[in-house]
Amino acid sequence: MALHASTVVVPIDFSSASASAINTALEIVENPSQLYLIHVMLPLETMSPGVLLGDVTDASRTAKVTTALKKLAGTHKAADAHLAVTIGTPGLEIADYAQRVKADLIIIPSHGYHGLKRLFLGSVAERVLRHAPCRVLVLRRFDQE
Amino acid sequence: MSPLFLKLFFFFTCFCLTGYNGVALAQGPEPSSSTMETDNGDLNKEKAASIATNIDSQFGIIVENMDNVLFWKPVKAVPIPLIVAILLCGSVFFTIYHKWLNIRGFKHAIDITRGRYDNPNDPGEISHFQALTSALSATVGLGNIAGVAVAIQAGGPGAVVWMMLIGLFGMTAKFNECTLAMVYRKVRPDGTVDGGPMHYLEIGLQERGFPFPIAKCFGLVFAIFCIGGSFGGGNMFQANQATSAVRGMIGDRPGLDWFFGSLLAFLVGLVIIGGIKRIGQVTEKIIPLMCGIYVLAGIIILVLHANKIPEAAVLIVRSCVSPEAAYGGFIGVLVQGIRRAVFSNEAGVGSAAIAHAAAKTDEPVREGMVAMLGPFIDTVVICTMTALVVIVSGAYNTPEAGKGVEMTRWAFSETLSWFPTVLNISVFLFAYSTMISWSYYGEKAWQYIFGTTKKAIIIYRILFLGFIVLGAVASLENVITFSDLMILSMAFPNIIGGVILAPRVKVLLQDYWRRYKADEFTVYE
Repeated sequence: MALHASTVVVPIDFSSASASAINTALEIVENPSQLYLIHVMLPLETMSPGVLLGDVTDASRTAKVTTALKKLAGTHKAADAHLAVTIGTPGLEIADYAQRVKADLIIIPSHGYHGLKRLFLGSVAERVLRHAPCRVLVLRRFDQE
Repeated sequence: MSPLFLKLFFFFTCFCLTGYNGVALAQGPEPSSSTMETDNGDLNKEKAASIATNIDSQFGIIVENMDNVLFWKPVKAVPIPLIVAILLCGSVFFTIYHKWLNIRGFKHAIDITRGRYDNPNDPGEISHFQALTSALSATVGLGNIAGVAVAIQAGGPGAVVWMMLIGLFGMTAKFNECTLAMVYRKVRPDGTVDGGPMHYLEIGLQERGFPFPIAKCFGLVFAIFCIGGSFGGGNMFQANQATSAVRGMIGDRPGLDWFFGSLLAFLVGLVIIGGIKRIGQVTEKIIPLMCGIYVLAGIIILVLHANKIPEAAVLIVRSCVSPEAAYGGFIGVLVQGIRRAVFSNEAGVGSAAIAHAAAKTDEPVREGMVAMLGPFIDTVVICTMTALVVIVSGAYNTPEAGKGVEMTRWAFSETLSWFPTVLNISVFLFAYSTMISWSYYGEKAWQYIFGTTKKAIIIYRILFLGFIVLGAVASLENVITFSDLMILSMAFPNIIGGVILAPRVKVLLQDYWRRYKADEFTVYE
């Protein structure tokens, strides 16, 4: 049975796995404007050297990520995709975003680690699965993240 | 059970296995029977003092147990703890292996720090100069002011020679670790950087053919000690000595340590939990000025006592080669010198590599060379200057001079009566900036183990603030031993891993040096 969806959220961590998730999503949607790409940034550490001595701010980080997202979407023939940059815990932010845009599918790559690696690396995909308001398509990834 | 709690369980089991095995037998001091005769206020004060003594004695037992394990002396006839031997051999190895880069690369390191090669478009968060300032704000502090006094008190004037030597050799150890941190750092799409020994040990060792569990183990052991270091030397020692400075200024008052410890925790909490970055920014910018004032005051004292310097130099050298038995003989002095120097400049420990990893450059070797200046400024310049002031003033053999920071204050005030006020402000600011910098190091290590979730981060930050209060009420002896144990133990995985990965650094250095000599670098000034 073919998978149909008209509002697809693809979380982007700028790895090769998230790039291939865009390709999978493009196979499902009718046109790229139905794609919603989101990148979640970790909260800024107020005691980091970049904040205390450099010029790192949430605005500067958002601008950099937005530029990178635009570039990534462009190279995957998805320039019309909607872009979002948020700050927080990745799994929860992705689920929240899916709720906001009334997504009917989230496509996310996952390592499927178990044992020691699972214990130490955790899983964003797992958290998304637990909180998602819609279907979730998990793609097996084999890269080093 | 969630992964976070599994990880927390794992971490605390490790911590308890290393240190807590004797606490169950601890006997707290008996409550005073005289309390019945005192009024309510006195009762509360006595209660507070009793709690403080109790905490300190429990803490002392933990420290003693940890000391037996981590400061293990493999050869009974030569009482050098294994970790001190690793630090000494490691620093000498890096210096010889990188062909005395600390000397041949010194001028180039200064040129880089001046911004001669700063390309604003390179990846990273901060300039070379800012990276050095950031790393120095964590190392220059009470280790230089109080640590030197502790070294002279415990190891005699001869310890200064070893401090200087380990400072010089430590420069190349610092180069090696900071270059590695740059090679294996991760630049996130938002421009921020994640780097440090936990990352280069895990990835680098796998590249050298080590299986994942072993490489991960190196990273984890480092991270565990780094968290401990952030609670010890980066926190409790600072809080303890800052409280001691306040006590020296206004006199000992009941409950002062609790009050001042809580005040410090509140002020640090404003930045690390409250997110008020402005306070941290201002402090970081004042630190170089305070360093300048401190060094200037030291120079003034030394110029005024210029006639005593040759005598002090002879005393230092003589007590280095033939030390008094009271200081533990030759080995005792050597161990004290190395402990206090490494505690102060953190070379071989790997902490500064976390800050240097944020530098804006695409040349890892270049940042390594900047980092090399850290131990020079910290130990060879500032510690030596403090030591000379303590010796020429005679404070080191004057019992009423006190110990730690009190001895240094006494030494300075002998010549400059106005200086104690400036020193107290410096001590507070140094302690404050060191605590903020170390909270960052510790948090990076914590994130490596427990992940980047909000819950995990807030647990660390609350623990960090708790240790500030504990540091203020505990005794200097216990605090300094705990701090040494944690900070020096970071060198176990870091130096062993650093030696295994040194060939990678050497290849990069040779290529960089060839291009530098061929004048191939773009100059931006």
